Amino acid sequence: MATRRGFLAGLAAAALPARMSWAEAGSPAFVAAGKEGEGYSLHGLTERGEDIFRIDLPARGHAAATHPVRAETVAFARRPGTFAIVLNCVTGAVSHRLAPPEGRQFNGHGVFSPDGSVLMTSEVVAEGSEGRVGLWDADGYRRIGEWKTGGIGPHDMKLLPGGRLVIANGGIETDPTDRTKLNVDRMRPNLSLLDSEGRIVEQVALAADLHQNSIRHLATHGDRVAFAMQWEGDAAIAVPQLGLWRPGEAADLCPPVEAETFTMKGYAGSIAWTADGARIAITSPKGGVLMLFDGRGAALATHRRTDLCGVAAEGAGFVATDGQGGIWACDDAGLTPLAKGEAAWDNHLVSCRV
Amino acid sequence: MYRPLLAAIFLATPALADYKEVVKDHILPGYAAFAAATADLAEKAGTSCDPEVLRPAYQTAFDAWMGVSHLHLGPAEEKGRALAIAFWPDPKGLGAKAQRGLLTGDPAALAPEAFADQSVAARGLMGMERLLYPDEPPAADPCALIRATASDLARMAGEIEAGWRDGYAGLMLSPGAEGNDTYLTEQEVRQALFTQLATALEFLADTRLGRPLGTFDRPRPERAEARAAGRSLLNVREELAALRDLTARLAPEAAETLAAFDRAIGLADKLDDPVFAGVADPQGRLKVEILQGAVTTARDLAVAELGKDLGVSIGFNAGDGD
Repeated sequence: MATRRGFLAGLAAAALPARMSWAEAGSPAFVAAGKEGEGYSLHGLTERGEDIFRIDLPARGHAAATHPVRAETVAFARRPGTFAIVLNCVTGAVSHRLAPPEGRQFNGHGVFSPDGSVLMTSEVVAEGSEGRVGLWDADGYRRIGEWKTGGIGPHDMKLLPGGRLVIANGGIETDPTDRTKLNVDRMRPNLSLLDSEGRIVEQVALAADLHQNSIRHLATHGDRVAFAMQWEGDAAIAVPQLGLWRPGEAADLCPPVEAETFTMKGYAGSIAWTADGARIAITSPKGGVLMLFDGRGAALATHRRTDLCGVAAEGAGFVATDGQGGIWACDDAGLTPLAKGEAAWDNHLVSCRV
Repeated sequence: MYRPLLAAIFLATPALADYKEVVKDHILPGYAAFAAATADLAEKAGTSCDPEVLRPAYQTAFDAWMGVSHLHLGPAEEKGRALAIAFWPDPKGLGAKAQRGLLTGDPAALAPEAFADQSVAARGLMGMERLLYPDEPPAADPCALIRATASDLARMAGEIEAGWRDGYAGLMLSPGAEGNDTYLTEQEVRQALFTQLATALEFLADTRLGRPLGTFDRPRPERAEARAAGRSLLNVREELAALRDLTARLAPEAAETLAAFDRAIGLADKLDDPVFAGVADPQGRLKVEILQGAVTTARDLAVAELGKDLGVSIGFNAGDGD
């Protein structure tokens, strides 16, 4: 790996053209943020979990958005975010640093438009946590506008066919200076669907007794949305961590089997859906598990691993990462170690497949 | 003369302690004791359904559970065993509801294999408590359900004990060995045990003590654990002792943490409030709050001290939340 890095550094010094494809970045399957010693970094990984590139980050990362064409990744800071960094994944160079406009904060996630021309960032108005989608011209990363997300405290967002955007409005108002939750007793999370012009065309909320189940992370298959939730209510009450939604329909909640009712400790940290639609995985670092469901939301299996959180689809199964540096292949039968490195992997493993 | 000498010898002995000692001297004996106590309860239930006769064996089984209830690893987590053994808290009363169905329903559900598939809320120690310490006369003769619950409890305890002895202990004792995908390094084993400790102390403070405390304006003594069996405070006391034992074997140098345990245990010993009924009055409440504070202090010291001594921490992601 060192050799390869040296080679890449040499290439960088030789003044490459500014725009390079993913093939030139070694075609990473995933990117993931991590912590090494006291420093933070972003890594490109193969589907076997091998390091392809490694780039320093100024502070703790969370998720990332990968450009559909160019070897470019936008790494987002952990909430409440003051930075997003556009990285050239071939050279490791930082091409742009994005700061939210006055009075806005990044909220950990973002996505490129299908043609890669616009970067959309999950944001809140610092006071009150009302949600915004920040719009950035991806050719130079100039701020070009913003949309309302239709809720409080948006977190993840994903594209649906037709350039539509589905947003997980987590419902939680946080103190702008830290992460203190201010409205847990009256939070109302929702899923909002925006058309390609930013108009809210549909919203779905949970039943009143689940109003404290914060909808935070999303995965899609065709026009279907799988959403992962984090329970802010009484820990003694069993609630589902997974839901499924197709625009135009009601949302379905997908509980685990009874014996695993509290296994996830009410907390799902990441979610992924295989390209064939047959398997959905949600992870819980608090419970130290990955839970597998079929494409209709029936619980299939529970696999245990301390501090597991990042998960991305790979073929008919998944790759998952943990906070102890482990990278795992996952199928119905269990977890198989792929690699173990020095980086404590952060919440998300982001697929570069587009 | 005698005592200081012993202490001196103890201090001079290099500490033989680490995760291996925890497995061999804390976990395996703990599960063996729980399996034996539940087997005894099942045997006694086979000869009598009289609650008066069964209560002592039930109390002994619960005592044994408190020696291992903090271990959410391997066989205890498989098939929802630990959840079924101690389904608490149960704010919606799911256990009582499911149990009424079993009492008045098809007796075939009480056959051993069928009973193992009944709701986790209806079974285990909390299910048994409702049968042996009923707050109202049962809807039907509970004898068959008492026997089924006792046998099921003994079955689960036996499965956990065997699962540890014949498999999971080996994984914990051979991190990094060929084919051991559960523990890749020794550090992962220490981390797993440390996580049990920290999580259990949080559960003690937030749930075992926190639920009956409620808020100052709305204390909730009726939410205390195992109230009917009179074990609310005893469970706290016994779990503190179990966690102190775990700490002493994993990190005997953690003097501040061990002292914090001793202080919390001393407070529990002095507290004359077996089911936390006193939380409803300001004086009594203060005493339970002081105990809760001592538990939280032990937790914070354990995180700091063991974190430093063993190089472990609350999970990077588990402690984050996003």
